[in-house]
Amino acid sequence: MSVNRRFVLKGAAVSSLGLTVDGFIPALAANSEGSIGDEATEPTMLALVNEGEAESVFLYGAMAAGKAPLRVQKVGRDLGFMLDFERRLRHGLPMRVIGLLDDASATLIVDMARSGGARVQWLGQHTAEDGFTRHHVLSTDMSEGCSQQLSRELHDCGAGFKLIEERQNGPMAPHQLTGSSRGTNQSAQWASSIGYLLASIGARTTLAAPLAPAANTPITGSFVSFSIVA
Amino acid sequence: MAEQNSAVLPRGAVREEFNNAIEKFRALLGGENVLVNADQLAPYNKVMMSVENAAHAASAALTATTVEQVQGVVRICNEHKIPIWTISTGRNFGYGSAAPIQRGQVILDLKKMNKIIKIDAEMCYALVEPGVTYGQLYDHITENKLPLMLSFSAPSAIAGPLGNTMDRGVGYTPYGEHFMMQCGMEVVLASGDIYRTGMGGVKGSNTWQIFKWGYGPTLDGMFTQANYGITTKMGFWLMPKPPVFKPFEVIFDNEEDIVEIVEILRPLRISGTIPNSVVIANVLWEAGSAHLRRSQYITEPGHTPDPILKKMQHDTGMGAWNLYAALYGTQEQVDADWKIVVDAFNKLGKGRIVTQKEAGDTQPFKYRAELMSGVPNLQEFGLYNWRGGGGSMWFAPVSEARGSECEKQARLAKRILHKYGLDYVAEFIVGPRDMHHVIDVLFDRTDAEETKRADACFNELLDEFEKEGYAVYRVNTRFQQRVAQSYGSVKRDVEHAIKRALDPNNILAPGRSGIDLDTYKKA
Repeated sequence: MSVNRRFVLKGAAVSSLGLTVDGFIPALAANSEGSIGDEATEPTMLALVNEGEAESVFLYGAMAAGKAPLRVQKVGRDLGFMLDFERRLRHGLPMRVIGLLDDASATLIVDMARSGGARVQWLGQHTAEDGFTRHHVLSTDMSEGCSQQLSRELHDCGAGFKLIEERQNGPMAPHQLTGSSRGTNQSAQWASSIGYLLASIGARTTLAAPLAPAANTPITGSFVSFSIVA
Repeated sequence: MAEQNSAVLPRGAVREEFNNAIEKFRALLGGENVLVNADQLAPYNKVMMSVENAAHAASAALTATTVEQVQGVVRICNEHKIPIWTISTGRNFGYGSAAPIQRGQVILDLKKMNKIIKIDAEMCYALVEPGVTYGQLYDHITENKLPLMLSFSAPSAIAGPLGNTMDRGVGYTPYGEHFMMQCGMEVVLASGDIYRTGMGGVKGSNTWQIFKWGYGPTLDGMFTQANYGITTKMGFWLMPKPPVFKPFEVIFDNEEDIVEIVEILRPLRISGTIPNSVVIANVLWEAGSAHLRRSQYITEPGHTPDPILKKMQHDTGMGAWNLYAALYGTQEQVDADWKIVVDAFNKLGKGRIVTQKEAGDTQPFKYRAELMSGVPNLQEFGLYNWRGGGGSMWFAPVSEARGSECEKQARLAKRILHKYGLDYVAEFIVGPRDMHHVIDVLFDRTDAEETKRADACFNELLDEFEKEGYAVYRVNTRFQQRVAQSYGSVKRDVEHAIKRALDPNNILAPGRSGIDLDTYKKA
């Protein structure tokens, strides 16, 4: 079963789980562009992260997807790194880049993706505080279903959240997904789920996002996730 | 080629007409330079404003590589009434970034027109295309050991002189008022004609980048912050690299000190003793630039209370206000000016002077010194981590360089920001007679309520400042229409009369600075 097929099936049960769904749940069509899911030509996946617990959990999730060799790069705001990253994108060699970064680094990385002529499949802004998470996502055809899956996984583990999804090339109105906390200690699940989902974009996988390891302290802060393809 | 089925279309366009235009763009530019897929357009849509991304979503993005292609794009846009939003490097962070002002506009991205056409090290000028970055120029100057110095805004290496100057941005060197240093533009008009300003229309002229004014009306300024043409080349003057550069900081402990700081500074700026665009940054700007985060000090929502600011000052040695300036010249000149500066601040009896030797590699001194000497860095992006959440809008009113005025503006801005639970993160950039009072309205875009609050706050800032006779010199694309109203109806009538004459089909960036033939009603 492909990950997309699984999304469709689980989506049918959303309302019975008590998850609030505003707007529509789009049909989850199979990805047709880019051949990123073609394992024969699967490029190395690069994961960009800062230091931190959320980033570690993100990597934990990304590694669980396990469909492509994952190379991890710690990122700061080093000018040389940013310019080199842009040059590599501009060069046009097949490259998949996912990441979870602070706002400053992510602002630079995503803009380097633009000037480097890369494609951005997913852009997520995340805030974690007081055991509750908020997510503002800009999604594309290639990441269709990821927001819904994220909301389902957060709901399944009892994490409180609010998610606003805007669809690039889509209608003006965003749609919202919310779930209330059931008091479980799953403040890090969002990072694991996003790591898993972004690493899985375009791939055919039956794996589920792993439950995040229990964090020593609740993860709080502001983060940006992305999936970039050169 | 498949038809486009995106829900995003230019205002008033019908699908078939739009698709016909896209096909013509493909024929002109090649398919790889016509971007219509969602994942190609998403990186143009990372906005930081208090509104949904969808409000600023492009219907397509084009990349052109020659002036002839730009003319071709304009021709197609006229044929199909397609509005285009032109960007050079697109790094106008906090002012709208790379996204168009109106949903559905087609982005014309000139990043591939990135030739440094000429640098004349003797006459100290450059002529560049729109996609040239300060980083390219810095590398060129360094590799060729040219005795020249750049002036740029904080995004430095990744931004470009043409875009920054056309938006009347500023830098931190003696050449920091960038439009003042601009000399000669080439502009593709909506008619497709190519207009060169200043001496550029004279066949065989070698003074296009030497003499700004030419003959008759001088129109360069008309093309800045405007939508009357697409600038495809721009000349600007470069500062000779001085033999001695002496940056320094003066730290002041109290917010009220701003009055005396400005009064002591103004004569030093007007006389040219301190020649550069001086910065006076408040403690929160310093903190963000030094990569501190609000969560290190407080996790309560709302603005950061004054006692916390005092604690930050105590912990870090930062001032309530932190003045950065530099001296440039020969050793004799710098020594003489340094004595004048030190005497002035000693006479004031306030402020701790910090030299480069004392500061070493500490931040934010290091990056400030680099910006004042034309060395690029990305340090100031740390501001985005102060609160986090991806929201950033510059509120930038102009002030007299008069202490009482700066204090009045600072108090007013802080009161309004705090009312909305947001921080006063500010710097003054000091011209000889004016101040660019630049405030970063930082907020969390994942929080719909806070985003709404930030939007209301920005509107109130505009309203309340206007009541006092103040207005901003530049603003992000969400508020350009609103700000245009501050400058009066006659100005708007004139701007629209020019627009009707030069761009009757309203294809060039309608809405830019509030100029839009489709929506404007004469008062």
